[in-house]
Amino acid sequence: MKANFMSDRQLLEIMAYSDGELDAPRRHAVEKLIAEDPAAAALHQELTACSTVLRAHEPLGTVPETREFYWSQIQRRIDAAEQAAARAKAPIAPVFGWLRWLAPAIGVAAVALVVTYQQRPGPTILAVGEASSMTFTSEADGVTISWIN
Amino acid sequence: MQAGLNNRERTSSMPASLKNDYLSAPDDALVGWAQKGDTEAFEQLVFRHRDKIYARAMMMMRNEQEALDLSQEAWVKSWQRLHQFHGDSSFATWMTRIVINLCLDQIRRQKKMRAESFEQIEEDLGGVERQMAVEHVNPTEGLEKDELRKRIDEAMAKLTEAHRTVLVMHEFQGLEYKEIAKRVDISIGTVMSRLFYARRRMASLLQGLRRERSE
Repeated sequence: MKANFMSDRQLLEIMAYSDGELDAPRRHAVEKLIAEDPAAAALHQELTACSTVLRAHEPLGTVPETREFYWSQIQRRIDAAEQAAARAKAPIAPVFGWLRWLAPAIGVAAVALVVTYQQRPGPTILAVGEASSMTFTSEADGVTISWIN
Repeated sequence: MQAGLNNRERTSSMPASLKNDYLSAPDDALVGWAQKGDTEAFEQLVFRHRDKIYARAMMMMRNEQEALDLSQEAWVKSWQRLHQFHGDSSFATWMTRIVINLCLDQIRRQKKMRAESFEQIEEDLGGVERQMAVEHVNPTEGLEKDELRKRIDEAMAKLTEAHRTVLVMHEFQGLEYKEIAKRVDISIGTVMSRLFYARRRMASLLQGLRRERSE
């Protein structure tokens, strides 16, 4: 007996009926179909029997490791996870706590300092050696003067 | 979980009679103790249910190493979330839900579902399962339980991952269509068509076993 004389919707509704997933009006419609159509009744019987058999005979499995080894691996993972969580939650030392707030301010100040000095092309005096010579450079004038003692 | 797994001092100094309590205690009691940080109680829960959790992962993944890894991860998650368990379902059901969710995450990561999309077109309604003859009799009649379990396992391996996932969630996890759709992130219609195909194919495969035996 083939199920291909029924529509897709009817096929799925027969399954939904066997799974108790239909509302009352649809349930009555499927009950009528099953009562009148032997193919629908056979399909319903097959789907229900298959489901019953599967539920009663779930395949078993056995962990392919000893109890101790299996547990030790779980234990190690739990310990690792808890250590990681503890590290993440660990309070920061007070000194470093202040630094955390201060760091952005120091950064901003440093940038401001650099910008300020870069915008002032004034003369630069460089000491060369052990104060035995001195160099004066004026970028504005394009002149460099060196004194050597 | 507050206690961590470093509270062995308490349980190792426990009298033998109390240790025996772990063996005879019901799951609810073990869960209660484990929620207070008792690792021996948790270990007993692992011992009791490890095969079932592993089997469920194995059914979903069909790969021993992945199943082993995911089953262990499920136990780690359960320890971390033990305070969320309020006994609304059995502990075993709660655990299988965790491992199924991990398997689904893993499958999503591997994008196996998408890779199978071509097969799904072939198996849509109107395809091969629509043409299959309906099995009138119980396909498992006269089979030994162990043989039947083995055959069901083999038959499930022949399903695509997408069909197997829906079948496991419905038949073994006992989830409704709506819940499966939500967890797998597919429409209810897709759940139904996959389940329909999977069941009809399983019926056919099991019937094949009966025929083989009678020959």
